[in-house]
Amino acid sequence: MLGDISRLDLRLRRQSSIAYAVGVTAYALLIVVLYPTFRVDTSLNKLTEGDSSLSALFGATGSLTSPDGWMNANLYANFLPLFVLFMTIGYGASAVAGQNEDGTLGDVAVLPRTRAAVLLEKVATLSLLSLPVPLLCLVASLAGHHWQVDLAVGALIGTTIGVALLGVNLGLVALAWGSWTGRRGGALGVATGLAAVSYIVSSLAPVVSWIHPLRFYSLFYWAVGDDQLVNGLSAPGVAVLLSSAVALGAVAWRGFQQLDIR
Amino acid sequence: MVITQPAAPGPAIRLDDLTKTFGPLHAVSGLTLEVAAGQVFGFLGPNGAGKSTTIRMIMGLSAPSSGTATVLGTDAWDDGPGVRARIGYLAGELALPPRLTGDAILGWTARARNVENRSRRHELAERFQADLRRPVGTLSKGNRQKIGIIRAFEHDPELLVLDEPTSGLDPLLQKQFDDLLAETVQRGRTVFLSSHELDEVQRVAHNIAIIRGGELVLADTVSALRARAPRSVELTFSAPVDKAEFDALPGVQVLGQQNGRLVLAVSGEVGPLLEAAASHHAIDILARPADLDVLFRSFYRAPQEVPVAR
Repeated sequence: MLGDISRLDLRLRRQSSIAYAVGVTAYALLIVVLYPTFRVDTSLNKLTEGDSSLSALFGATGSLTSPDGWMNANLYANFLPLFVLFMTIGYGASAVAGQNEDGTLGDVAVLPRTRAAVLLEKVATLSLLSLPVPLLCLVASLAGHHWQVDLAVGALIGTTIGVALLGVNLGLVALAWGSWTGRRGGALGVATGLAAVSYIVSSLAPVVSWIHPLRFYSLFYWAVGDDQLVNGLSAPGVAVLLSSAVALGAVAWRGFQQLDIR
Repeated sequence: MVITQPAAPGPAIRLDDLTKTFGPLHAVSGLTLEVAAGQVFGFLGPNGAGKSTTIRMIMGLSAPSSGTATVLGTDAWDDGPGVRARIGYLAGELALPPRLTGDAILGWTARARNVENRSRRHELAERFQADLRRPVGTLSKGNRQKIGIIRAFEHDPELLVLDEPTSGLDPLLQKQFDDLLAETVQRGRTVFLSSHELDEVQRVAHNIAIIRGGELVLADTVSALRARAPRSVELTFSAPVDKAEFDALPGVQVLGQQNGRLVLAVSGEVGPLLEAAASHHAIDILARPADLDVLFRSFYRAPQEVPVAR
């Protein structure tokens, strides 16, 4: 699936992606290294006492001095998904709509390839771009063992997969919107808006009763919002994230079939 | 040694009632046209006439709202990948990744098209003095255009679809480009060339079509058009003459009058004009050959009923 089109897109993002991944990894390592300083600070847990809506909004629930609570509140429940979404929504909006707006999609579309083959390469590139940041954060978290950040490896790997799949899904929202409309701005706006709503539903579900039943509609919930760092990624979670990705890919494919390319 | 290949049987491009609408806007309306194989076909029209929209439908980049575009015997939309392998394309608004060099862009295109022989790329780069080592973002428009031209010709396609190909090229390179077109059709290839440069098209094309407001207003050979185009004639008399008398002559139109000088557009026989001039004791005559520009511009401007000839 990774052909010439994928290689070109990856090549054009190589420098920025490496720089971005290095920056995020530095942040993840900082969080890990800071943990011993805060693990004995019991006042930290006052932030989440009484099911505070405000702390829930920032992805902090339960104990913040436990390794999983610390990593969830500072990385996995909020920043890491955000970092991945920057990459995947950005690429999803650019891969079809952005390239069509700046006129370079035509170079690809005049190759002897079907549109389905072109889109498949775009999806493959999107999937690949969703991986480096979660994987580097996984490595940083595993290295956290030396700083008393002891996390269940299986759950950590599951959460890493969940974050990557979340990124792929919301990147596909941008890709699908861009494939139907050819508008990068709209693709960015819709995918970002959906991500924000999905995050708020997932993060407030534990503390706001009327939002609680809505959590099943949130991709964040299935990826990182259900204590995945402790329990691992659930089978229903994998099924939801994979099936929604397939459905979004099909919507993008249908839109790309009819798109007028410049 | 140049090997001349016979042109493929049947038209290289056939457009049947091709229409493209964007909401209420008719970008292309009922366009019917044939481009014979083995020739340079000039596709003319003012800005916004529908040239690029037509080309995008020929390239399978845009689906027709109705009608069909048949390219090299296959439907451009339904059999896009198969037919695109046989076409070289240069977009009207060439957009290249600014950080890549010409070499990287051409190398990528060659790999994607399974072109293994690089000799033609080098030959074309030398011919157009293209700088392939600098990032294209640092190149002038003309130098970027050279890369687009090399990319279109590199895989020696059966059909070249070129949208405003000489945009940004200096006159010397335009001459090189004209020569390349001549060699290309000599080898049995077909060139479909869109332009709003009237001079360029009448210089290189065998056949011409003019589109205006999305509709075909003229299609004919250059030689037939030249025969139909009005000649410009200037007559000088010793005293002012009645211009109405000359306007009434068959095939004569008075374009201007200043004292004893008349400027006329003349099509058809000149006998009656010469007789009238002699009767008024004309003292000088200046005749210029048929200028297609005058004819083209008349089609570009006001809408008028013009019979479409093939």
